[in-house]
Amino acid sequence: MDWDFFVQQLVNGLTLGSVYALIALGYTMIYGILKLLNFAHGEVYMMGAFAGFGVLSIFGGAVGLTINALALIVLMLATAMLGSGLLGVAIERFAYRPLRNAPRIAPLISALGVSFFLQSSALLLFGADFRSYETYEYIDLASGIHWGPLNISVVRITVILTAVALMLGLTLLVGRTRLGKAMRATAFDREAAAMQGIDVDRVIVSTFFIGSALAGAAGVMVGLVFYKVYHLMGFIAGLKGFTAAVVGGIGSIPGAMLGGILIGLAEAFITGYVSSTFQDVFVFSILIVLLLVRPSGLLGKADIQKV
Amino acid sequence: MSADLPNPPEPAPDGPRIGVDEWVARHGERSGLRGGRFGPVIARLEQLPWWSLLAAAVIASALIPFLSESEYVIRVAVTTVLFALLALGLNVVVGWAGLLDLGFIAFYGFGAYLYALLSSDQFDLHFPALLSVAIVIVSSALLGLLLGLPSRRLLGDYLAIVTLFFAQIYVVLATNADRIKLPWNNGPTDFTGGPNGITDIDPISILGYEFDSIRSYLWLSLGVFTVVVVALQFVNHSRTGRAWRALREDPLAAELMSMPVNRLKLLAFMFGAATAGLTGTIFASVQLGIFPQNFDLPLLITVYAMVILGGAGSIPGVVIGAITINVSLELLRDPSNARLLFYLAIGLGLVALVRPWRKLAGIAGATILFGIVAYQLAEWLRPEWVSGTIEGGRFSDLLSGWVIHPVDATRLGNAGFILLIVALLALTEVRGRWRTFLLPPTLYLAVFVWENRLVAEPSVTRILLLGALLVVLMSWRPQGLLGTSRVEIV
Amino acid sequence: MHGRKRNGAVAVALLAIASLVVAASAIARVDAPAATAAPSAGCDSPKIGFQGPITGDAAFIGKEQLGFAQYAIKKLGGGKIKLLQQDTQLDPAQATTTGTKLHADASVLAVVGPAGSQEVLAVAPIYKKGQRLPFISGSATRTSLTSGAIPNFFRVVPNDSVQAPTTAKYIRQILKAKEVFIVDDQTAYSRPLANGVQANLTAGGVKVTRNSVNQKVTDFSSLVSKIGDGVKVVYLPWQIAANGQIFGQQMKEQGKNAVIVGSDGMDSGDFKLPGSYVVAFAPDIRAIKGNEAFIKGYGKKFVSNFGPPTYVATQAAIAAIKKACADGNATRAEVQKQLHTTFIPKSILGGNFQFTAKGDVKGAKFYIFKLGSGGKKTLVG
Repeated sequence: MDWDFFVQQLVNGLTLGSVYALIALGYTMIYGILKLLNFAHGEVYMMGAFAGFGVLSIFGGAVGLTINALALIVLMLATAMLGSGLLGVAIERFAYRPLRNAPRIAPLISALGVSFFLQSSALLLFGADFRSYETYEYIDLASGIHWGPLNISVVRITVILTAVALMLGLTLLVGRTRLGKAMRATAFDREAAAMQGIDVDRVIVSTFFIGSALAGAAGVMVGLVFYKVYHLMGFIAGLKGFTAAVVGGIGSIPGAMLGGILIGLAEAFITGYVSSTFQDVFVFSILIVLLLVRPSGLLGKADIQKV
Repeated sequence: MSADLPNPPEPAPDGPRIGVDEWVARHGERSGLRGGRFGPVIARLEQLPWWSLLAAAVIASALIPFLSESEYVIRVAVTTVLFALLALGLNVVVGWAGLLDLGFIAFYGFGAYLYALLSSDQFDLHFPALLSVAIVIVSSALLGLLLGLPSRRLLGDYLAIVTLFFAQIYVVLATNADRIKLPWNNGPTDFTGGPNGITDIDPISILGYEFDSIRSYLWLSLGVFTVVVVALQFVNHSRTGRAWRALREDPLAAELMSMPVNRLKLLAFMFGAATAGLTGTIFASVQLGIFPQNFDLPLLITVYAMVILGGAGSIPGVVIGAITINVSLELLRDPSNARLLFYLAIGLGLVALVRPWRKLAGIAGATILFGIVAYQLAEWLRPEWVSGTIEGGRFSDLLSGWVIHPVDATRLGNAGFILLIVALLALTEVRGRWRTFLLPPTLYLAVFVWENRLVAEPSVTRILLLGALLVVLMSWRPQGLLGTSRVEIV
Repeated sequence: MHGRKRNGAVAVALLAIASLVVAASAIARVDAPAATAAPSAGCDSPKIGFQGPITGDAAFIGKEQLGFAQYAIKKLGGGKIKLLQQDTQLDPAQATTTGTKLHADASVLAVVGPAGSQEVLAVAPIYKKGQRLPFISGSATRTSLTSGAIPNFFRVVPNDSVQAPTTAKYIRQILKAKEVFIVDDQTAYSRPLANGVQANLTAGGVKVTRNSVNQKVTDFSSLVSKIGDGVKVVYLPWQIAANGQIFGQQMKEQGKNAVIVGSDGMDSGDFKLPGSYVVAFAPDIRAIKGNEAFIKGYGKKFVSNFGPPTYVATQAAIAAIKKACADGNATRAEVQKQLHTTFIPKSILGGNFQFTAKGDVKGAKFYIFKLGSGGKKTLVG
């Protein structure tokens, strides 16, 4: 049993999975409150990645960085989270609020419209070239933990830890604060929550802000570990995040985290042990079997149908 | 049906009337007694049977090759009919049975590839077209059955994601099935041609007549379209159609009324799949070459947009949705068309949203004035801001004296673009006086961004406008153009 | 139930669409006299069509190709020739649609593009019909395209049948690799190249591990982990050089010592891993003496090597149209004839440029560069 290989794939899968989990969290939170699949979420993630790149360029770019790398990362995360959060709020205001009471399928197209709009805006504003965070220029990739079979660079450690911290923060927010309680109430029954005096609009706006901020953070982290930033990166990431959210049980926050990590690990191990060509086929087959076994997702609650 | 229309009822007073159920009382209004100039005309039109509309549409489309000799127009017409067929197939699954099927494109691709394998040089099989098409339809229906099996266990979004998996698996298989090792063959077998696809597909030939020109394909696809629409109409008005509608509205109630819910779902999948497979065969023979990327998710998104925009559940609706989106996309390829559409949209939007007429005139005047002032100011401050060129067009001379057009338009255009989005957001937030004051500068900014930045990149602008169009149309009419607004009881 | 009530709205909508269609076809008729009408209408305002992936996944290719094509028109067009750009998103179906549009427009005398080999295959039957439209691709490399089946097709880049053996020979003989790891990116460009190099290497006794990964994947770490310890060379015939850079960095991260050899798609500023090799059909135009004025005139930043060949393609088209128009009117057949006699002395790609009888580049050669630090490239083969 080649432990080096196994542990390496484990590390790969965890890094990838944490990013998917962060994006999935945004999907699941918004779905929980509005029963809406926000297909523009991937573009929010893309804008976050570009925001981080913008911060990098302001401070001299990868090769001539003028500030400390750690300070840079903190700044990138803060800017991206703020920017993406605001963008998410704007999208909600513009595209989803008029459709609050429309049949569920209408906001789907609105979201697609927003997605097209944001992708072309990014193409217009930033151009078609690939931008690269070039993390290897200002952080030495060889540094990190090298202990036995475990070889993990400092960037990956940062990414995994940040993702875990954000997920913990979110769990605390939803479980312990008043806003979190309001969110849970609104997700359970919107009209009843309104009747209890909860400002539903404010809760929805906060949910969008937090979910989009998480996506923005994911964008920066992807830039740091995988370097490449371009206007269409949100499409695939959004798809994966959506998959993770549904597989884990849509509406359930721990489910989204679990779903994301599961998909990341599945992709890494299947590429490593089976085939990279047909990676998608095997991963999806596993997920199909999983869903057939647990039809409401891994941690989802079976919907009680009221008659 | 009486030919004389009764007088329209008196306008209802504001506020509820005591002792009257408003909803019941307004039934007459809602059931379409229209006054006004076009009332009687529309009432007449409403008495037309569906097949007359179908015949009119098909005959009008069949005359297109005689109206325009441009092959491009005919080809766009063929693509539109194919999209309409796809939209009809998706309509069965999404609109009638209420199942979110995100794997629909896989059937389209399957149909195309199967036809290509049966009628091309790939395996050197050249089955007669009718036989190939029959095999494709049956196989697609069987594949639809297979894909529908998870629907026994999974509901709603979970079914959606499983169908999405199937769609992505299909694309991966189509891209990579060109080096499969079969035990009874020496070397690897090439099933699908991989990313290079299958080319040299035989054109369809029915009873000796070979369809080899694009106009003959237009007539062929219109013929198939007619057959499919008639078939679907019959299904819609049959027991199955009613059962599907019941299933869509409330699956639990339908099951309790002893409708075979599982069988209905599978039937819906099969119908959708068969339609898509059939469309795939026509696509393969028109294009003469198919590639895996023809059947990827962006196409799925386009078909969904057509179905939902047109109104899911309505046959004429989805066809009109298909025509609208495909024709808009093609028209927008041409920058002068895009320009016309842009200014037309602004004009129409203003006319529709700004009442009364005096206010509209005031805003128009204010915008022009604002523009003149801004232009003079810019010219006085920084001459290089007004020395660029406006792209050709009928009004370019007029515009170059009004719109600021810097030499290096990219930077300023980008800044203007971001500013424009912020301004539009602000417009939706503020009310009353502020809105009126904010409108002229926003309009000027929009024209500025258009002339300086967006016109220069028509291909990007095309998608930008499509996205904006989708958002605006869905906000305006969430049920789709011809959909029925349904009340969802949560 | 609700059928009849909405028929009114349907009828109105159909009438609206019908009028739109009539208007559109009328406009189309006015703008584009049928291709079968007077064929010598061309010289009043001749146009060159451009097909490329201006948006979509391959937008970085299309943008540079378009930029260089527009520059060629600006510099050499003489003010009369215009470029008609059409976006294909590297999708053969869109290539067919836009191709039909260009073919139907009688003032279009030549087309630059499409970019992908599969698009060329899709659009060939259309350009061969009626008034044959000559088209010059700046990046389609599939060997079979110039087999003679498409007589009006030209390309300014050498094809795969030259690149694969050159690369394999270098890997086998100069780099002396005994174990090679090949990954293709599942595109029509990459597969045949990978197949060709693999066949060549296996015939020469080198052990080859072949993998395939989708272009849209962001993380190659799992694939990188599969690289065995005995592997000395990794061959990446990829279209997106930025992906190659990620792959290389992740190799370094995991301590793999193999060296990357990239195909001409990787010949781009996006891929700059020192110690790697790139196969290119021309040296970087920035390194060729005499191109300085050209680059300054272009002004915009460019990264990959997809752009300059399109400039040469447009240059050839412009020259052919000018020669054909010398007698006042020109047909597409004349333009095609003139294209065969194209001779561009000291083209920006280095050396003189000519087409072969079949439409390929005469004297196609592949150069192998080794990347040094700071983006420097040294010619090694």
